[in-house]
Formats: sequence, C-alpha cells, structure tokens
Amino acid sequence: VSANASPELFAVAERCAGTARTKGASAVAARAYKVRDVTVQWRDGRLEQINEATTRGVGLQLYVDGRYAAVTSSDLRPEALDTFIGDSVAMTRTLAVDPFRSLPDPSLYAGQAGIDLGIDDPAYPTVTPEARRRLARELEDAARAVKGAEAILSVTTGFSDNRSESVRVHSNGFEGARVETSFWTSAQVSVKDADGRRPEDWAAAGVRFLAELPPAAVVGEEAAERALGRLGAMKAESGILPMVLENRAAGLLLGHLMGSLGGQSLQQKRSFLEGRRGQAIGSEGLTVTDDPLLLKGFGSRLYDAEGIAAHPLKVFEGGVLRNYYVDTYYGKKLKMAPTTGGSSNITWKLGGKSAAELVAGVGNGIQVTGFLGGNSNGTTGDFSLGVQGFRIRNGRIAEPVAEMNISGNHLELWKRLVAVGNDPYPYSSSRTPTLVFDGVQFAGR
Amino acid sequence: MSRRKVTSLGAATLASTTPTDLVTGPADAAGTPPAGIGYFGRFGVDQRMIRAALAEALSHGGEYADLFFQHRVENRYVLEDGSVNRALTTVELGVGVRVVKGDQTGYGFTEDLTHEGVKLAARTAAAIADGPARPLPREFHAIADLPSRYSVKVRWEDVRPEKKLPLLTGLNEKTFAADPRVKKVNVTFADEASVVMIADSTGRIVEDAQPMTLLYLSCVAEEHGKREQNVYGVAGRSDIGFYTPERLDRVVREAVSRTTILFEAVQAPAGEMPVVLAAGSSGILLHEAIGHGMEADFNRKNVSIYSDKIGKPVARPFVNIVDEGTQGEARGALNVDDEGNAVGKTLLVQDGVLATYLHDAISAKHYGVKPTGNGRRESYQYAPMPRMRSTYMLPGPHKRDEIIASVKNGLYCTNFSNGQVQIGAGDFTFYVKNGYLIEDGRLTRPIKDVNIIGNGPKVLEKIDMVSDDLVIDEGGWTCGKDGQSVPVSQGIPTVRVASITVGGRNERS
Repeated sequence: VSANASPELFAVAERCAGTARTKGASAVAARAYKVRDVTVQWRDGRLEQINEATTRGVGLQLYVDGRYAAVTSSDLRPEALDTFIGDSVAMTRTLAVDPFRSLPDPSLYAGQAGIDLGIDDPAYPTVTPEARRRLARELEDAARAVKGAEAILSVTTGFSDNRSESVRVHSNGFEGARVETSFWTSAQVSVKDADGRRPEDWAAAGVRFLAELPPAAVVGEEAAERALGRLGAMKAESGILPMVLENRAAGLLLGHLMGSLGGQSLQQKRSFLEGRRGQAIGSEGLTVTDDPLLLKGFGSRLYDAEGIAAHPLKVFEGGVLRNYYVDTYYGKKLKMAPTTGGSSNITWKLGGKSAAELVAGVGNGIQVTGFLGGNSNGTTGDFSLGVQGFRIRNGRIAEPVAEMNISGNHLELWKRLVAVGNDPYPYSSSRTPTLVFDGVQFAGR
Repeated sequence: MSRRKVTSLGAATLASTTPTDLVTGPADAAGTPPAGIGYFGRFGVDQRMIRAALAEALSHGGEYADLFFQHRVENRYVLEDGSVNRALTTVELGVGVRVVKGDQTGYGFTEDLTHEGVKLAARTAAAIADGPARPLPREFHAIADLPSRYSVKVRWEDVRPEKKLPLLTGLNEKTFAADPRVKKVNVTFADEASVVMIADSTGRIVEDAQPMTLLYLSCVAEEHGKREQNVYGVAGRSDIGFYTPERLDRVVREAVSRTTILFEAVQAPAGEMPVVLAAGSSGILLHEAIGHGMEADFNRKNVSIYSDKIGKPVARPFVNIVDEGTQGEARGALNVDDEGNAVGKTLLVQDGVLATYLHDAISAKHYGVKPTGNGRRESYQYAPMPRMRSTYMLPGPHKRDEIIASVKNGLYCTNFSNGQVQIGAGDFTFYVKNGYLIEDGRLTRPIKDVNIIGNGPKVLEKIDMVSDDLVIDEGGWTCGKDGQSVPVSQGIPTVRVASITVGGRNERS
C-alpha cells in the first residue's frame, strides 16, 4: 500500500541519502516532508487571525564510521543541502563511536498491514476560506445561544485544517510514504464570575475526514456550558476521596504512567517500571493496547518512526504489564527485541457504564474534568497534579471545585482503578474512557 | 488552550552549530548586498524583494505589514553511558509575513526565499484585510544603533565540536567522582546561532544576531535499592566562555546534591500552609501568578484576571515586579524584540500597585501606549504576541533567616521543574523538585515532588515578607503559549507566602 505522496518528496529524500553516502556515510535514513496548515481564529464577532502556510524540510539520520548524528534542515536549495550534508558527516566523525547504533534489521520492515488507515481525506482541497469563517462564526453563535450566556465575556473559536505528506528512505531497503489530513473546530469561552475572576473552558473536535466533523453548534455549546459550569468554583477540603476522571482529561494521567515504559528510561535507570514486565501494575480494569492500525485514528500508521512495520501491542492486560516501548537502539543496549520506540493510538478495553452512571455509582467524591500543571517523577512513580472539576454528592454532580491537587504514586494509584467507562475520548490518539479511582489524596482547603 | 506553561531544561528545544559555513560564509557571488540588507543578502534577499513583498502584503488594505527573516542553526550534543555518542543539528531558514488591521492579523510564511515565494506568502497574509491597497514608504532605512547586550566574544559558528565535547566528558567524570551512589549521567549541551531581520511597512529594517547556549546534567543515584534522579541546568545568551570552571563545578555539585538528598526526603503534607520560596528559580511564581496575566493580548480581549486592575493595589507596598530584556547574559535578554521594537524594563507592579501590561505592537496600539518590547515569536513560522523576557521581583526589606524563622509549620521550596496558569480564573501551579519542611522556624527534613496550587491575585496579596537577596536564576527556562516556545529567565529574592495549597499527602487513616 503506497500513500499518495508527491514524487518530488521521494526525489529530495533519495537525493539527500545519496549525497550522504557519497560524503562518507555508511548508512543513512532520509525523511522529507511537506505540511500545509491553515488556521482561522475568530473572536467576538469577527476574524482575529488567519494563518496559512506550507512548510517543508528534510531530516537525515547519519551513520558514519560507527558514529551517529540526526540533522534537519528547511534550507532545500540544492547547493546549500550538499554543503549541509557534507558538514554534518564531518561533524559526525568528531563524536564517539557507538556500537549500538544501526538502522533497524530489514526483516522488521516486512509485514506491513495492507489496509487503508482512512487518514487521508480526498475532499481536503475543497475547503474554502468562506467555509472556514462560516464554521468559526457558527461556533461562536452556538456558544452565545446557551442559557446563561449573559455572563459570557469573550468567545474565541477556531477552525483549522492540515495536510501532511512525508516519505522515508533507508539505505538498507526501506521506503515508505504517509499522507494524512485532519480538521479541527474549537471554542474557548470566558465568563465573568462574582469576584472578578474570569474562568474559561473549552471544547474541541477533530477528525480525519471533513464530512465527519460534529456540528459546530455542538462544540460551541459545550464550550459555553463548561465555562458557565466553572462559575463560583472554590477549593474543597483536603481529603481522601473517590475520583471520577473525565475521559478527555484521563489521557494525561495515563501518559504519565506510560512515560516510564520507554527503552531509554529503562536503560538509563530512570523508570519505576523497570523489571516489572509480567507484574500487576494496576487493577483488572487496566487493559490498554497500542493500536497503530485503528481506522481513522490520530496515531494510526503502517510503519513507525524507524520504518518498523506497525502491529498492535498489548501494553497492560488485566493490570499486568506486558510490553515496553523499545526501539532498535535501546533494544540493543537492553538486549531486548524492539517493539516500537513510540506510541500510536492508545485504546482501552471498555467497561459497560456511561460517565453519568459512573458518577451515580460514586456516592461522595470529586469528578476531575481537567488538570493544571503538576508533574510525575518517572524514576519513582510519585506524582502531584493540579485539578479542577466538581464535587459529587449523593451520586450527583454538585458544586464546581478549583485550585485543588491530587498526589500519590502510580504503583498505588492504578491498583485503585475501580471502574472503566464505555466512552473513549474520540479526539485524541489516546482514546481514554472515563476512569474511576478509589481513595485518591486531594489537597485543597 | 487557555493554559500557559513554563518548563525547565529537558523541555527546551535548543541547539547549535555545525562546522558549516552557512552561517558565516561571505555574501554570495552576486557581490556586496545592498545597503540595509546585511546578513540575508547571501540568500538572495534584497530591497526589491522586500518592497515587492510588503506591497503585496498591503494590497488588500492592511494597515501595517512586516517581514521576519530568520536563519537559525542549532546543535545539540548528548553524552550518555560515558561518551558523546549523538549530535542533533537543526537548520531553519525562512520568512514570515504579517499583515495587521486593527486587532486583526493575517500571517503566512515560506522557506522558499525567492521573490515569487515571499510574494506568495505575503498574498496569503494580505487576505485578513479587505480594502484598497496602501502605499509603501519611499525609503527603507536600517536601524544601526541597537544595543549590544549578549556576552559573545567568539561566535558559536566559529567553535569546532572538538572544543565543546570535552565539556561534556569532563562533567561526566566529575559527576561519577563526586558520589559513589551515582549510577547514570546524561549531559546535553546545546548552542544556537540565530540571525533575524525585520523589515516593516514603516520603512525600518532591523537585524540582530542572537546567540544561545544551554547545558544540563541529569544524574541517577542508587542507595539501598532505591533510585532517585534529578537535574541541574544552565543557559544564557553567551559564548563558550560561559562555561567557567566555577560554573561547571556548580552544575556537578547541584545535580548530585539535588539527587542524593532525595534519599532522605519525605512527602510534603497536603493542605494550606505558609510557603517560603528560596531566592532564584522560585521566580516561576511570578511568571505564572502575574506575568502571563499581564500579557496585554489577554487584557485587550478582556479575558485576564488582571483586565481591570491597572492602577489598583495588588500587593504589599514593598512588592515590585519587573519584566526586562536587558540583562546581557540572561536567556531572556534581547537587543530588539521580534517586531523590531526596543527592549527595556517594564514594571508590572510598582510599590504594590499594578503598573504596566506587557505589550506587542497590536496591544500597544489598542491601548494607545508605546510598545514595551515584548513582541516575541518562536520562529518565522509564527506571528508575534506579548511574551515575557526576564521576570523577577526587586529586593525587599526582610532577611532570609528572619523569614524562615517566622514560620511555625510550612515548606521551604528551592527547586522547580515546571508551572502553569489559567489566565482568566487566575489559578496557577508550580512543581517543586526539592525543598524542606519548616518546623518551629527551622529547616528540617527534605521534601520532594510536590505541586503547589494557588490563585494569582490572592497569592500576590499573601506575599507578606520579601528578602534582600535577589537572584536571577541561571537555568534554561522555556515558556509555552498558544503552541509557541520562547526562552525566558526568572528570579526572585526569598519571599514568604502566608498561605497556599500544597499538593502533598497526609497519612491514610
């Protein structure tokens, strides 16, 4: 299966790879790309900003006399590229020899899924400037039509579309191309609170195919309702409570856990998950798969960043850690077979209940709708994150809370995962459902 | 979307120079570039191109247009497992075209520095306006009297990798020698040579060569089967002379001590308590609690918690908060901002009263004031907006020891990794990597990994002690806003916040 990438991108990549070989590289991976991005921002009844450009560039991974460098340039004038590649090869020779560096084993290139991922919309060229502005305006109109809209101070909306083409050529036989489109609507609403605060919230939707965008009105209304829901938010008392984590926020928390699954973290002794393959990290509900072949996913791909053919990878199964993210280089250092160096789409084994049913099942707790800063220590698993959301009282959403924090250690937290929703967040490569945790430390008043 | 973050070190996307002569090479065979076009003449840029692009930009009624040319070469060298075994080089060459009408902006950019390529980008940007073409100035003139703030004797493009690599290997050896518990050392070194040229429809042409360097050291230590990791980093607009033996020794000492002290560290408690912030990188509090909220784009849009507070008291009279770009070696220093405007010192808070927003050209026009030199952008791919440079608090009347002694039960925070703020609600956080419990006025057990969350105006009111020991942090801070990253600095004297929420843990009953 070959994507519709333009032949001139292949020509640029092949020319760069050839130049690198001529200048002394023993092996090379060359990537060339071209990305067109258009964004329209609309604010309070008129256009605020339009951005429109096509960017391009090349990237080379150079293997020279047992040494390694990765270089990129947007200066594609042929004579400048030749000089750049020659200088880069010379620079690589000044580094230390690294016996673990090589292109992937070519056998890993074989076995690409022969499917259409559904990530390239042929209707992309039909988007007009008028359509972009109309959508942005409709988003605002919908936000201003909700009940309570008189508290709205400002509405900023946006529409963006993107088409990206990239090709990859390796000196040991790999050739690949990838073309993808995406279309996004978003709305951000600020509202006036009683004490001079101007709380804001947002909603957004993104799709691979323009025709699949949800109506602008849905996104605009959601942003306004979320912002109005923030009115009067206060911090609640500190305590250890159940947490219902909204689907669109949950990907961040999972990301902190999964950040310690990378080969470099393991090999550099910076991962609390080192040596834990086969062990229970979470409860039965933690069943997570990396699925690069998901139809229309934002992380979908037929080959990974090294050209390795993409396959679904079980990460957690019934709470048990099954696989790490290991690329060719750290695989050699760790004496492990490479899986893939980076995540694609994160999918969950879903539960049977909706977010509302999960909230109802938690008598007294906090629904977290968003994070604010904080961090996670990948070496120890300790985390501490700012949160906002709502109190849950008697199984119902009650008053909004803000200026609060959760903290703990991932090795304890994920064992307290007691329920998984049926509602994967569709607008991200991390398709996380609503998650319910027991006994989470909240800090507030 | 509404959230702005700052991160240190690891998040910085910097780098540096190959031995290429792309940056330093002489003007091309076409001969000496015409007056006003210095550096970019070698890429075929001339006054004819500038004039044609600006004419196209103003062809639909835009009130103002500018071109932002940039050539940036970044090199990054990484030491892992004892040797410098990888390098990463990035070359960026391109031009951004901006057209402004009132508060509205049209923006396009291209890497194709031909007359036709630049004109096409200008035509795209022009579409923001809808009206008759505006005239161009008769003459373009180069601004020649820029300050010369960066401390650079030797340009990065003239430093061979062989001169840089021993810095990394030397740090590696010293770090392992410093403590037997050290098991892994990673060092990243980056240098960057960026040249920008701004040409605008008022006839100005401004060029600036902006160097940057950054170094950080990450260290993993083991003790009784426990592992801890931490980092220390330094950054500045400087040359290789930045790396004095004293500074390199400090990098090792700080990275090792910040890591090994974690073996003794306990969890901070959860809840509201007094927090003392150590002099230096605690300036992250100012960046989040007030700096972003004072960026005038949020205020002209009426979405900042500070939108109606200019001239009003927001803090004790001894609180003075500044944003400036004139401290030579600082990572946030600039000779000129990315709109070609002069960079000086802006008082955010003067004697406890909210004084001045941070402006770019659009917001300055909106408010009828002079730009403050805060118009910045990540690269030619982005339109500028108001951004901080180096944000800090001036010294106050108290003493550090007196401040610590005043706290019965609280925290003393020394090192931070990142922070974030909601502009409108005013809630902000910063993440503490190292600190101590304060018990009965004394620093006792070390703490680790705790997020602190507060509300900007409420916390400003609660800063009730300010010491005389201002330190501008030497770390490599990078600020993110609307998807654009820019280098910044920050600093503060020791201060006390009477009460703020600490995101720690309490005993489970």
